[in-house]
Amino acid sequence: MNPGPEAAGAAPRKGARGLVGRILREPLVHFLAIGAVIFVSAVVLKQVQRPVVRIDAAELDQLGAYWEQQMQRPPTKDELRGIISERIDEEILAQEARRQGLDKDDIIVRRRLAQKMAFASEDTAPISEPDDSALKALFDRTAAVYETPERMALHQVYFSDTRGEAAARKSAAAALTRLRAGGMDAGGDPFVMPLTYGDVTLTDLGRDYGEAYAAAAASAPAGAWIGPVRSAYGWHLMRVDGRIAAVRPAFAAVRSQVREAWFADARQKANAGLMARLRKRYRVEIAAGGGGAAPEPNAD
Amino acid sequence: MPTLDLKARGTRIVLLAGTLLAGGALIAVAATANPAAKAPAVLSAAPAAKSPPARAAARPAAAPRLPGYNTERNAYFGDLHVHTKLSFDAYIFNVRASPDDAYRFAKGEAIGHAQGYDIRLQGGPLDFVAVTDHSEYMGALREADDPKSPLSKLPIVQGLFSPDHNEIAAAFTKIVTAMRQNKVPKEFADPAIAGRAWREVQDAAARNNAPGRFTTLVGYEFTSAPDGKNLHRNVIFRTSNVPGLPFTATESQNPEDLWRTMDGWRARGIEALAIPHNSNGSDGLMFQTTKWDGTPIDKAYADLRRRNEPLAEITQIKGTSETHPSLSPNDEWANFEIMESYIGSNKLITKFSGGYVREALKDGLLMQEKHGFNPYKMGFIGSSDTHNAAPGSVEEHNFFSKVGREDGTPELRGSIPPGGAKTWDGVKVDPLTNIARFQSWGASGLAAVWAEENSREAIYAALRRKETFATSGPRMKVRFFAGYDFPADLAHRQDVVTQAYAHGVTMGGDLPAATKGKAPQFLVWGVRDPNSGYLQRAQVVKGWVENGVAKERVFDVACSDHLPLDKAAWRCPSNGAKVDLTTCAVERFKGDVELRTLWTDPTFNPKHRAFYYVRVLENPSCRWSTWDALRNGTPPNPKLAPTIVERAWSSPIWYEPRA
Repeated sequence: MNPGPEAAGAAPRKGARGLVGRILREPLVHFLAIGAVIFVSAVVLKQVQRPVVRIDAAELDQLGAYWEQQMQRPPTKDELRGIISERIDEEILAQEARRQGLDKDDIIVRRRLAQKMAFASEDTAPISEPDDSALKALFDRTAAVYETPERMALHQVYFSDTRGEAAARKSAAAALTRLRAGGMDAGGDPFVMPLTYGDVTLTDLGRDYGEAYAAAAASAPAGAWIGPVRSAYGWHLMRVDGRIAAVRPAFAAVRSQVREAWFADARQKANAGLMARLRKRYRVEIAAGGGGAAPEPNAD
Repeated sequence: MPTLDLKARGTRIVLLAGTLLAGGALIAVAATANPAAKAPAVLSAAPAAKSPPARAAARPAAAPRLPGYNTERNAYFGDLHVHTKLSFDAYIFNVRASPDDAYRFAKGEAIGHAQGYDIRLQGGPLDFVAVTDHSEYMGALREADDPKSPLSKLPIVQGLFSPDHNEIAAAFTKIVTAMRQNKVPKEFADPAIAGRAWREVQDAAARNNAPGRFTTLVGYEFTSAPDGKNLHRNVIFRTSNVPGLPFTATESQNPEDLWRTMDGWRARGIEALAIPHNSNGSDGLMFQTTKWDGTPIDKAYADLRRRNEPLAEITQIKGTSETHPSLSPNDEWANFEIMESYIGSNKLITKFSGGYVREALKDGLLMQEKHGFNPYKMGFIGSSDTHNAAPGSVEEHNFFSKVGREDGTPELRGSIPPGGAKTWDGVKVDPLTNIARFQSWGASGLAAVWAEENSREAIYAALRRKETFATSGPRMKVRFFAGYDFPADLAHRQDVVTQAYAHGVTMGGDLPAATKGKAPQFLVWGVRDPNSGYLQRAQVVKGWVENGVAKERVFDVACSDHLPLDKAAWRCPSNGAKVDLTTCAVERFKGDVELRTLWTDPTFNPKHRAFYYVRVLENPSCRWSTWDALRNGTPPNPKLAPTIVERAWSSPIWYEPRA
């Protein structure tokens, strides 16, 4: 019995098994092996996955549409091929430029990104439906916006200065007496502006006839002939037949408009709030000469 | 400028646990892999367009009528030709006022002039306005003036922006020459730049439109000028529904391409019309009787043109294009604010024929007679063409011309002697200089429409049916009707307008063929502007075709001051109204507040094709150049007319004989 060789033979076997086991159990080997696998996969993937420029159907449609908008006809096959080829080159150049870092420190790129960010983030905050009390409060604050201005219905009789100013006034005064006595025939002249207004604002009367006329109309008692009132065209008699005072509409009648205004307001506040929150996430450092503290964010 | 050093503090880079485990391998991968490979690029449609800002929605047909609604229609005054800083030339002229500023000015507010003073309308707010910036390189000069913009680095931009009027003139010539030679760098034509400006135009129109009080229309100027010959048009849209970008003269100088494009828009529900202007600067090109390619006008062309161009702008600051004294030798009032040079240069016009509207109307009749079509059946408007973003700034006593710092002082526009001199002795003005050109410009015009109410829909409809008139600045009102069976006392009836609409056609319309033995009657009615002068006479201008020859005649039909009308010569005697040139005061008791008559054409022949339009003349008053001189305490420039006769022109009514 010679246990020596056995032992000797067994020992290396046992020793080799132990070494392999040790190696296989060695964390560094695991690390390297995993690394190698990833490395190989990456190399393989790189071969399989060259960067892709893909023009999808939506983009194709859009390219054609842009072209058509300019030329007012659809592109021919050749033209379409040209447009697509140009678009591919543009994309490849853009990707290469990014790879080489050409987008860094470029004011146009920066500005465009800022615009896109603003575009993407503005008006996105969910704004919950306001309740009626919020809308009513806004309506009470801004009711003047929804008012219909004072309007009136009036008749006028016009005596043209072409009669001579004094003669026109005299005729007007005589006609006023007749009308007040219940007469129907005032004997006035035709006029280029309406002799009967169903629905006119004081602003329009002031613009068309002058302030004296508008003031007379504003204070005229309903249903009675007054005058003569002077305008740039001659003398006028007027009878205000009815007034509709400036109407402040009921809240219910303009609720949808108020709601739109409320949302516009809320969106503006939300957008301003968004910028303010972003500001808080950054520390702003300004070189000496910048005038001290960071300026407040712009609201719009 | 402060230097901002922005450092991300809160931004955290989160590293994945797995990446940590395989760190070494990742380093190896990172060293070899193409970073582009990490994210395959998939192009997709641009981000979904956000809904545009709320804009004035078109009122549905059943909408309640606005206050002031009048079935017999009101006269509304406006300006459909207005430039702001978005126009390449206005920006060079140092104009920095925006479309919003233009609308503010039109509503009666004060805005700043490029020269540093405040400007404001004295005659009250306008009723409607379209801002019509040049579509070519719209907004590009503003961007080029921004040192941060890549445009600012281009050679052509160097020296383009100067407050000095001589350098402005040089810069303007430089950019216009480059445009004409097609040498403007392509960066200027970046659709993104034009898109931003076009958006701004639309947003300003939406913000300022106030139905019932003030109407805005979206528009732009198509700036075609082959060899410098002016073929400019303003394109006016009916609603806020407009194309993504204007069709510009850089795409084609040929107006036929513009009209075809407009046809295309119309097919997509985008309704617009084009209004040619400054035919006086076209050197005979605007109203020629051939097409762009030199072949004779045919029916397809005539239809295309008429479908898209129902109107012509016949008067503006750069002169009046109604007619030229050489074309209308028997019209004593033809010599009104005539400009005889090219647009934007001092080159002189060589050919007046083809450049004036009255002759075009006559040529249209001739073509109708010979070939059965008429491309020139146009109504009239006036507008300012202000480049100061100042719509309606055409008041003689409140005139600051139209090209910013180039003509922003009386000296620069030649109305006072140069260098502080007190007289004109020894002052010579080279006729081929800017000053000579600016002197010849007039404080004119306005657009007026008869519409039921002050809304986009009503005003656009009036433009389409040509129920429009032009004025040289004052807000005179002109009514014009023609018919065969008006009541005999029409002109004296209180319901005159009701009767006139019921029994006749109005300006812009067509009078049907006369039945045997009947001649048409014309209701002619002019009413003064309370802020301007009194009226001296109302006229009918007639054009007709007789034995294949187009003729014209001017009839006085109503005289002021009860003066007798000479019905042989069809002329009123002068009412003798004078102007005191030392004060610009006018005689108070000359002229009428209104002129109104029912007139029958004594030369009517039912077989002659004809058109008729009204011209209403004010008493003479000081021209802007005289007001400038008066304020300066110097005599008026002896080379310039000291007074002018302000006027209004109705759109024509056409008469077509039985076939």
